[in-house]
Amino acid sequence: MTNSSRRLLGLLIFGALAGGWIWAAHALWQTSVPSNLKLPHVDVNALVGASELHRAQHFSFVLDLFGVVGLVLPLVVLALYAKWGHRFMGESAAGPIGTGMLLAMLGLAILWMAMLPSNIAELWWLRRYGVVKVGYAEMVIGTWSLLGAEFLGICLTILIVMGFARLLGNYWWLVGAPVFIGIALLVTFVQPYMSGLQPLKDHSALVQAEKRLAKKEGVGNIPLKLENVGTQTTAPNAEAMGLGPSRRIGLWSTILDGRFSEPEIEFVVAHELAHHKHNDLWKGLGWYALFAFAIAYLIANVTRRRGGMAVPLAVPLFLFVWVAFPTATLPIDNAFSRRLEAEADWTALQATRDPQAGKALFVSFVRTTNEDPNPPAWDSILFGSHPTEAQRIAMIEAWQKRNGG
Amino acid sequence: MNEHPVTLHVMDDLRRSRLTVFFRFLLAIPHIIWLELWAVVVMIVFILNWLVALIIGRPAKPFQRFTAAFMRYSATVFAYLFLVANPFPGFKGEPGSYPIELVVPMEPEKQSRLKTFFRLLLAYPAAAVSAVLMYATYAVTFLAWWAALITGRMPRGFRDLGANMLRYSGQVNSYAFLVTGRYPDASPYVGMSFEAPVAAEAPVAAEAPVAADAPEAPSET
Repeated sequence: MTNSSRRLLGLLIFGALAGGWIWAAHALWQTSVPSNLKLPHVDVNALVGASELHRAQHFSFVLDLFGVVGLVLPLVVLALYAKWGHRFMGESAAGPIGTGMLLAMLGLAILWMAMLPSNIAELWWLRRYGVVKVGYAEMVIGTWSLLGAEFLGICLTILIVMGFARLLGNYWWLVGAPVFIGIALLVTFVQPYMSGLQPLKDHSALVQAEKRLAKKEGVGNIPLKLENVGTQTTAPNAEAMGLGPSRRIGLWSTILDGRFSEPEIEFVVAHELAHHKHNDLWKGLGWYALFAFAIAYLIANVTRRRGGMAVPLAVPLFLFVWVAFPTATLPIDNAFSRRLEAEADWTALQATRDPQAGKALFVSFVRTTNEDPNPPAWDSILFGSHPTEAQRIAMIEAWQKRNGG
Repeated sequence: MNEHPVTLHVMDDLRRSRLTVFFRFLLAIPHIIWLELWAVVVMIVFILNWLVALIIGRPAKPFQRFTAAFMRYSATVFAYLFLVANPFPGFKGEPGSYPIELVVPMEPEKQSRLKTFFRLLLAYPAAAVSAVLMYATYAVTFLAWWAALITGRMPRGFRDLGANMLRYSGQVNSYAFLVTGRYPDASPYVGMSFEAPVAAEAPVAAEAPVAADAPEAPSET
């Protein structure tokens, strides 16, 4: 085979893979929300009141600043670490993979120290608005413990990446990416069993309503559970979790503390059931899989000039790419997430046919979380995993218009 | 007076990295988990080895080597955790890889069947002494952590106490797990050897990027 035909074959394979990637991304992007749905303008001022709106905007703006620090600071710290981190190789008596693990852990440790002042200030802000109940010492100890878990995670990652790189050279990503996808699959499956979910006692009417809604949405039997978060936060939330037999809906205790009416809570449950109905956790895994291959390929190429992932010298650079890539793809990840959330809202409306409960719920969300219902576009792009409350209310109004409500 | 077959070789320069000292406990977590997993297999191996030693009068060679590697490895992990040494240890327990090294006999020796039969019971008093030493080391490590964090050096007395604990517990475990038939020696002067490290500073990696075909360190996780 000549050089030019080899190049042509390579281009064809790359083209086929890129085409497959785009086709899969397009398929995951589709939702059941009518594509011609026009969202009307919503006057949030009239819905939540001028003073509460001002409070929410002030709170969200400062929180966004902390968010920006949380995005930029790790990039700066890890960029510096990518340049200088190899100096810590002298602190290791382990072999290449053990030294790689040490370098990765130290990178995260330095990042933890760099982020600590900003995290404490953010906690102060959240406590000031009564959104979080966690104390300062509890937060520091909590993030410290979390750092231990992160150390384990990064050590496993380094073991996989460096292990395969030492076996397969720069082609490690072809095997490494599927391994990470398998781990993500496993974590998603077992998450409901690790989340401390409790049975939902004293809410038999809600449990019955959930069964009724589940039947209506055609998702089979999905247990409704309680997540006790009352000692940590006042923010309300719920989540769909698990795959197949491990599917659950976890309702935060803060949503059952009397601030929300029964129809509002039923709307929340219908929204979470919709995530299961549309296989959103599987879609999330599919989305992750697309990017797992991309990031693994990128890391394999970027670290090549440092000897590739087989040597610990490349680990600080690996750590930088490992964090920078998800930051760079955050806007598209958030856009994907917003589409799934909008679809879940739409399906919840179809199932409950109770737009008033939906509207009341989203207005209550503004009051209880202090989040700006209509933030600037950059806020949604960087941090918006859900549509804004204004967009959610607008969707309800659009649904009402279509359904003669 | 260094007659015990299990000895601790100390080649530490007392220098400590403040960063790794600050995060020492968390950095040791992967090792602690690996140690626990390894210990499960060591327990199974011990039962088999115990039966072998009762039958043929000495432990089996592969079991001896496997258990010896575990003893060496556990000494490096605890040396790291208790600030007795500075570098991050390897995961294989290879000889000559760490400034604090438990030297353990690799060849099995003949052992009394009667003592082998009652081995765990016989080791119990020494294990109790070892536990007391361990608790004392916990307390000292707390003080040493502050000292190392502030000065960047480990006080010699604290380091030597930790080293002695490692030496004694290494002898206890080696006795309990049939690596040696010799009972642990409580004297801090038996089974210890100190040696100045070859270089005061640990080698610092070159700043220039390593080429793809650069020679690599021995394969180890």
